[in-house]
Amino acid sequence: MPRLGSFNGFIPPYILSRIIDHGGEHQRSHALGTLSHVRSLLHNPGPPGVRQAPLGELERTDDERAQRSIYDAKQGMHLPGTLVRKEGQAAVGDIAVDEAYDYLGATFDFFWHVLGRNSIDNRGLPLVGTVHYGQQYQNAFWNGEQMVFGDGDGEIFNRFTIALDVIAHELVHGVTESEAGLVYVNQSGALNESVSDVFGVLVKQYSLKQTADQADWLIGEGLLTDKINGRALRSMAEPGTAYDDPLLGKDPQPGHMRDFIETREDNGGVHLNSGIPNRAFYLAATAIGGYAWEGVGRVWYDTLCDSRLTNDADFSAFARLTVLNASHRFGAEARETQAISDAWGGVGVYLT
Amino acid sequence: MKELPKLGPDALVRVSRQGGFAAISALARPREIDFSNCNEDERGRICSVLERCLPESTESVGRGDQRFYQVELRFKDKPDELTITIPEDRAPSELVRLWDKGDAKVP
Repeated sequence: MPRLGSFNGFIPPYILSRIIDHGGEHQRSHALGTLSHVRSLLHNPGPPGVRQAPLGELERTDDERAQRSIYDAKQGMHLPGTLVRKEGQAAVGDIAVDEAYDYLGATFDFFWHVLGRNSIDNRGLPLVGTVHYGQQYQNAFWNGEQMVFGDGDGEIFNRFTIALDVIAHELVHGVTESEAGLVYVNQSGALNESVSDVFGVLVKQYSLKQTADQADWLIGEGLLTDKINGRALRSMAEPGTAYDDPLLGKDPQPGHMRDFIETREDNGGVHLNSGIPNRAFYLAATAIGGYAWEGVGRVWYDTLCDSRLTNDADFSAFARLTVLNASHRFGAEARETQAISDAWGGVGVYLT
Repeated sequence: MKELPKLGPDALVRVSRQGGFAAISALARPREIDFSNCNEDERGRICSVLERCLPESTESVGRGDQRFYQVELRFKDKPDELTITIPEDRAPSELVRLWDKGDAKVP
């Protein structure tokens, strides 16, 4: 539906100028390749688990094992594509297929073993992933039923299956839709994104058996090509420092409410302002120490599944619930509870 | 019934691609078109593209890192603005071409 409203200022086209000046037609043509629109994406039917027509022969299971199916879109945009690897089958030698299989499995294992959650919907929803989606497609997403990964353009992005936390991030979008259903706009949307980053990075840390102090807290490490001056797409420890490149510009993520970005871009800056709750999580995790998934990670999960968390929650509402859940899990005077409360204060999110 | 307002020479059109896991601002590549720089035929072709977008537009876009196109219409002497968002998988190819090339050819 079109929205009619007052004009409150226009985003300056500085980015366009940068691309024209530095990116050239090559970059633009690569992007165009990702955009041959085939109306094949399935419409989101609502929360996972209510789908009426399962993909292929997959069925639910109460078993604690993942039920993975990896499909190959063969550079097309029809979903799910051709089935290339099912649960239990050996590696096929296609790195994107095998990464998707392995990393979806690692994500499933994290949720099952650490949080006791059985897949996306906690009811054993089969995990469906499609790789080689589109031509030089520069994205990965969750479409309400499955995860989809592009190959990247080779200029800016490598393949989107390259990083465990990217795959976990997309799967967690399904978890969030099953639980809090955080509306994908403004602060609730930034929380939605942050939750995916938080559990994405926890899956990586769990896989590497890293403590909070040992972890790099980067999202999408390895995703940017060597031609781009950047470590990753986002830094939870230091939002705004992941990249600084002539083509992409500087990482704009804020890490404190004083730098909160009011914008009509990106659903109200959901991928920008997520830096604030991301840093709060990092601050709490490093203050507590040890494995982040054992302390603050559990509190975040409790909060995500807390029926008091409304789908339009703002940062303060989410923060208050994390403190309540920390108090419930660890005690009101516990250092975990205090660390989480302090962390929110450290990013300018207040609990009152 | 969705309808575009009348777009005369005072209209400004901005088309950008938004969202995605890698929602880097530079990749939005906003394209701005000042209708005062277009002749009547060019304006008509752009309007045809925008009208093709209306049935595909929805306010619920972007979730789960799905990309979408955002079309913003404003007017030089009026405060009103119209914003249309179209999921990537439903975006007419003419809109993609308009965003990418600034080309408003209509089949």
